[in-house]
Amino acid sequence: MRTLRNIVVGFCLMAPVLVVAQDDTYDLPIKEHVFENGLRLLVIERPGNNRVVSKIFTDMGALNETPGQYGSAHFLEHLMFKGTPTLGSEDWERESQIQSEIQATENALEEALNRARNELRERGVFHDYQHAESTPEIDALRSRISALNAQALELNNEGPMKKWYQAFGGTRLTATTEQEYMKFDLDLPADRVDLFLRVEADRMENSVFRNFDAERMILVEQRLGDLNRNETSFREAMNSLVGRVSMVYVPEGYANDFGQYTRRYQEELYRTYFVPNNTTLIFIGDVTLDDMIPRVERYFGHMERRPEPARYQAREPLPSAEKRLTWRSDTLSPRIDIRYQIPGVGHPDRPQIEVLAAVLEPYLQEAMTDAQIAGTVTINTRVVHTSRFGVPASLNFELIVGNADQLDAAEALILGELAALSVDSVKAEDVALARKMLRTEWYRIAADPNALAFEIGHFQVMDNWRALRPYLLARDRTTADDIVRLGKTYFVANNRSVGVVRPGEAGQ
Amino acid sequence: MRNSDSSLFAIFLAAVLTWNVSFSQDLTHPLDMDLPSSNFQRPDPVDYLLAMDNGLVAYIASAKQVPLVTLSAFIKAGKASDAQQGAAEVLLDALKNAGPSDSSPAEFKRLLRHMTARYTVDMHDEWMEISLNVPTEDLDAALPLFAAVIQSPALSSESIDKFASNRGSSGSDLGGESGPALYEGSLGAAVDKFYEVLYDGHPFGSKPTAEDFAKLELEDVRKFHSDYFVPGNMTLAVAGDIDYRSIETALSDLFGEMEFRDSPAPANVPGIRRANSRQHTLPAKKLQSWLVFGHDLPRVPVDDQAALEVMNYILAGGHLYTRMTVETRYKYGYTNDASGFLEDRWFGPGSYTFRSYSRPEVIKPIYDNMMNEIYRIRRELVSDEDLFIAKGALTDGTFQLQYLDGYSTVRNFAIERLRYGNHTRSSTYIERIRSVTAEDVRDAANKYIEPDQMQVILVGEPVELLN
Repeated sequence: MRTLRNIVVGFCLMAPVLVVAQDDTYDLPIKEHVFENGLRLLVIERPGNNRVVSKIFTDMGALNETPGQYGSAHFLEHLMFKGTPTLGSEDWERESQIQSEIQATENALEEALNRARNELRERGVFHDYQHAESTPEIDALRSRISALNAQALELNNEGPMKKWYQAFGGTRLTATTEQEYMKFDLDLPADRVDLFLRVEADRMENSVFRNFDAERMILVEQRLGDLNRNETSFREAMNSLVGRVSMVYVPEGYANDFGQYTRRYQEELYRTYFVPNNTTLIFIGDVTLDDMIPRVERYFGHMERRPEPARYQAREPLPSAEKRLTWRSDTLSPRIDIRYQIPGVGHPDRPQIEVLAAVLEPYLQEAMTDAQIAGTVTINTRVVHTSRFGVPASLNFELIVGNADQLDAAEALILGELAALSVDSVKAEDVALARKMLRTEWYRIAADPNALAFEIGHFQVMDNWRALRPYLLARDRTTADDIVRLGKTYFVANNRSVGVVRPGEAGQ
Repeated sequence: MRNSDSSLFAIFLAAVLTWNVSFSQDLTHPLDMDLPSSNFQRPDPVDYLLAMDNGLVAYIASAKQVPLVTLSAFIKAGKASDAQQGAAEVLLDALKNAGPSDSSPAEFKRLLRHMTARYTVDMHDEWMEISLNVPTEDLDAALPLFAAVIQSPALSSESIDKFASNRGSSGSDLGGESGPALYEGSLGAAVDKFYEVLYDGHPFGSKPTAEDFAKLELEDVRKFHSDYFVPGNMTLAVAGDIDYRSIETALSDLFGEMEFRDSPAPANVPGIRRANSRQHTLPAKKLQSWLVFGHDLPRVPVDDQAALEVMNYILAGGHLYTRMTVETRYKYGYTNDASGFLEDRWFGPGSYTFRSYSRPEVIKPIYDNMMNEIYRIRRELVSDEDLFIAKGALTDGTFQLQYLDGYSTVRNFAIERLRYGNHTRSSTYIERIRSVTAEDVRDAANKYIEPDQMQVILVGEPVELLN
């Protein structure tokens, strides 16, 4: 058997990190068909796979919410699991009458709440003040809604948007709502792909928002789960320190708003954005485009093109000052979070920024070690769960420091290193290794049809699915000169937000 | 604006509430869609098999979609297998961090980094898995590295010393607010506490102490490695952008010199002596509370496996449409999740737990509703629809996923071979699931769930659950 020493010598001679991607490295055999009503169909044919990954993306998310309704896009996703007239009802004729009465009573409640608010003339100016005052009319309306919901529940078949998928071999039944998209996912035997089309077309057009108030509490649960994590509040404070766009729109929403959601607003979102010309279907597996076109036509073809939904005009004003946050905590480890605003996907610098992050992470870690500062450096572009946006976001340098006494030294070190980036400090072989690392990550994504379908859909809502390959190629062509140029462009004081977590009880 | 909103809404309401949808929309119920019956055939393990002269078995799949290769080894030994406490943990550390014996940890890490490798070592109580995923361009270097780590890991006294000095100050603090587990999501802490209670005094619950590491000799770790890392106690899986013949040759060259030795006799792991239901509360000032309750799961004979799986799927099988989800989440909005977890171990008693979490004021109704569903499935026959959904989900869903691609296929075959010595279970799985009846489900619930012998763990605001 060869020894490791042989391997090391051989490996060094091969100089594998200098391997350059071939032109066909990122070839994606995506086939597209756009229907007359604007619905987009994307297929990667993988014969012999037996199954098909299926996704439906809608170009809407937290960015489309209005103040006071944060989290409502995510709530809409939950409501869209509650079924339709044909899925989830024992007796739609009777249930529809009850649902109609629920709606009318909710409208009356909304009016009553508005009247009470206007009479009080006291706004919810602080986080725990939410117009708790009630009136006999409000109490009676709430009781009526509860009673009607209980009646409707008697007529409901629960879980209608999941159980038939489960019964016919559907797996990975997930849904996600982020800042810029909502998607529903399924992986099922390829010869049953019609089931996905039948259920999703129905969901897109005929959703009935059953059990509205109970589902609202699931959002509360998910939000409490977020808030139980030590880092959440600090990260959200950092997000809003940095900018006004992707960083502020937390997909889970804010607890203050959960009680304010109305069916009326949810339906406005639903009717505005869930239209064929704002929707992309993606399939990867044992199906063909030619076969899918008539199938999709059968279930979605009757839908009419609607007015194009407006996109969020996500422009960040030019940053004009360095911003700073001091966070006192005895439960969060001492840390420094240095963030710089960066452009979204679609801007030519964005793919190169990924290479820059991959180059700088080990470089700055080594600098910390050399300076005898115990800690770890992580560089990312994440805002809540998402790392890429079609709108401006941030590049985050997160330093967790072992000893709070070294916080200032660590910050000075990192800022000094970033200011001193030059062609001498950024080595070509480090850039080549970073490119290889990103290339390998891409192979891992491409090997997994579920992950690949997500990337295609995500690029479609951020920019265009056709931008994916050029994006990957641009990463692979990034040079040390590009890294230095990015540093000089973005690592400037006015573009910087710094958060420092220090020990000590936070003042209330 | 208000007028236009109202108009929009009125149109929508009229459309949905009177079901005045377009006549051309196909709204055939899924049961009436004539969806084709499943024609899935589990792949034949023989098509992937490489049996070496020394008894080592490998499963190999060529999949050229992307230039990546995954190499995996499965060994029938884990944290509960070491004769001398702590030997498994030290070996795990060496496999993860030190690399082969003729190298330094720094060299090992540098090689992995330059390969852009994904290298993982997972050690369970009874078995372990070592995996290396690399670009094809690095396969020639990765193969001998992988073989060297497995056959000759760098074991050192320094590693034992490190454990001995670290262990003294560790230990999770579940009782207060200072434990890290409590701060970063406490379902894991509740599950850990459940295992602690369940396996108290049992080999599966035994954790090495600083004293164990102080007594541990390097020779103990070497013996643990040499006893278990033998051809008869290990299987391999290789998948990706490979040439089958080349891999066959490389594996024979790299592993063929290992001396033939069979599996060591499995340890005689005792069962669990059950106790009456008891609540264990770990107070924590958090926004939510976490609930885990259950008891041990005796080793499940193959004849019971299918009915038990179907029963669990109907009752609580994951974050999906199940009875527990319906009665906690869908109807009442109590919790994001209420699920059941069957953990069937290889040689000894596993566990059957039910888990949920929520705001403290609804923990009691969640527990009551979950328990009510347990009583119901023990008492009443499940419906045809319940059976239809569960059987379809298990045979056409989760089982098919195990053979989704080359790597998942060979990985499953390698683990099945190591655990059972054959592939009978997977070859008969679909047939066994399809033959489960409502009576089988009720019998499985009565045999494998004992509602009066639950250990109930609550992390969060104290509340009395058992009465």
